[in-house]
Amino acid sequence: MKFRTILAATTAIAVVSIAGSASAAEKMTIGITQNNVGVDSYQTTYEKAFIEAAEANPDVEAVVLDAGGDVARQIAQMEDLIQQKVDAIIIWPTNGKAVIPAVRKAQQAGIPVIVTNSNIAEEGHGFVKSFSGPDNITQGSRAAEIMCDKFKEMGIDKEARVVQISGQPGYTTAIERAKGFEDRLPEVCPDVTLVETQPGDWNREKSQKVMEAFLVKYDDIDGVYAGDDNMGVGALNAAKAAGREGIIFVGATNFAVGYEAMERGEYWGSIYQSPVDDAKAALKTAIDVLNGTEVPFLNYFDTPKITQDNMADFTKPVF
Amino acid sequence: MADERLNAISRLLARQGILVAFVIFMIGFALLNDRFLAVDNVLGVVRSSAILGVMALGVTFVVISGNLDLSVGSMMSFSTIVVLDLHDKIGPGLAIPVMFAMTLALGGLIGLLVGYFRLNSLIVTLGMLSAIHGLTLTYSGGKNMDIADKAGTWFSFFGQGSVLGVPVPIILLLGLACLLSVLLAKTPFGRKVYAVGGNGVAATFSGIRRPRVVLMTYLISSFCVAVAGLLQASRSMGSQNTVGQGLELEVLAAIILGGASLLGGSGTVFKTLVGVLILGFIQNGLLLVGLEFYVQYVVTWLIIILAVWLDIAAKRGRLLSPIA
Repeated sequence: MKFRTILAATTAIAVVSIAGSASAAEKMTIGITQNNVGVDSYQTTYEKAFIEAAEANPDVEAVVLDAGGDVARQIAQMEDLIQQKVDAIIIWPTNGKAVIPAVRKAQQAGIPVIVTNSNIAEEGHGFVKSFSGPDNITQGSRAAEIMCDKFKEMGIDKEARVVQISGQPGYTTAIERAKGFEDRLPEVCPDVTLVETQPGDWNREKSQKVMEAFLVKYDDIDGVYAGDDNMGVGALNAAKAAGREGIIFVGATNFAVGYEAMERGEYWGSIYQSPVDDAKAALKTAIDVLNGTEVPFLNYFDTPKITQDNMADFTKPVF
Repeated sequence: MADERLNAISRLLARQGILVAFVIFMIGFALLNDRFLAVDNVLGVVRSSAILGVMALGVTFVVISGNLDLSVGSMMSFSTIVVLDLHDKIGPGLAIPVMFAMTLALGGLIGLLVGYFRLNSLIVTLGMLSAIHGLTLTYSGGKNMDIADKAGTWFSFFGQGSVLGVPVPIILLLGLACLLSVLLAKTPFGRKVYAVGGNGVAATFSGIRRPRVVLMTYLISSFCVAVAGLLQASRSMGSQNTVGQGLELEVLAAIILGGASLLGGSGTVFKTLVGVLILGFIQNGLLLVGLEFYVQYVVTWLIIILAVWLDIAAKRGRLLSPIA
């Protein structure tokens, strides 16, 4: 039994190293199936950056596909990539669970799979070489820290009341950011109350409606945490229309609209997450895996805090 | 004597079942949250319902004429993105008429296909839903559109301004509703719309040019979509490509709530307006009550089904189907 395992392991390593040396001699072909390019600026910018980075690297041949948000199409694209015998596959899952069988198939065919941007469900981790993307829990807790620091600066950290507008229910990113925020806030600012959370579905208009209702319901709101800047700006619009001032807005995934609102002094801070970094990190992880370089399973790229105080250090997001 | 009075009341209830349902929900929510009927909240709900409302007014014409329009959601995204993009390129004064022209062209195309080519409206508008979404994405390159100088333009007037304390979106919604109500109820064209939807063959034999009426309904629908797009763009001064996604179903829900038949031939502008307000107040009420959000989806649609049932039960004077 043990002997067999060792045998299997050495064979696998041999296969990988042969594949590795072969591709180093020629070109390594890396296939990517993305979630839904065009649905938002982040994904559009990501694709562009990925293609540019792949073209800039003479050793890489990229096969760039997009599932259009459709699970079935993504599974078909995985099968196509397996048929084409690419050297590695990068997948931006349309759905964290449904794609697992396809990922497993690729792994069985000896093709290393790298997950990008949002991870697949835990039962699929065994079939994946590495996850490259942002750490959304850390993003949530950093947002809590940004907000708490600001409250302390204003001297209201003993009584401040906060509402949260989260992303689309059921999305890993939305769940993780909310969890990071909700766990960290009481640690850094134990006297701040999170009064209510409602989803804004990553949608500015929906978020504006939710915020309008919050403003009617609560006379006293000191801070708003939004799961991304798009929703954060929607909430800001609602507050401006209602003439409520002095609310501290903190978001995530700094969008150009959020950056501009920060320039105007209306929006306090966010988390800087660049789709260009995201795309480059995914490609680099795939290349490292193919070259046999040691890669951690959770290969996060850094997403720093950005506030009105330090925004000059960051270029304005292009999306 | 008392019987007669009871009869009069029940006849009134039967005609206005949906209004009764509306009043019941309003009282219910008001009891659950004391802020629900505050002037600010009511104005806020009507204002944010205006976008859906304007779209529903136009689609009412299409539905009465016996057709469907599933393309209005993605068409609204299209007009929002186009007007935002053109605002910075050629200025708001030109951007608005150009956007209206482009949106009307899309409506005209659908009207031609359904009216003159006699294609099934469900298929045509379902196809156009995706085609227009693709068109929008191609136009914008997938990017969010934002007006660069948000403070230095009068463009925000439509979505955020107010006249004598009444928000402009509400004025536009009510003004358009009055205009379209007269068009539908008091003009020969309005009667032709009902005739085409009620019995297309009979209408044709009575000398009504059915294709032309159908084309007109889609032009009216796309005109309303353009107004909605303008409101949307001006309200948030920036937009995602998917801003109108899913609104086609909410529009239909509002129209059916108002009591129009999807088979055509019935419905009024006023009833559609009531349907829109019910939808708006349900969503707002549930938010104010602070229900867990997964539950909100369930409750919203249960209430809608309940409202439709109350309306139909009032019409036939009993709760169950006569044949049940």
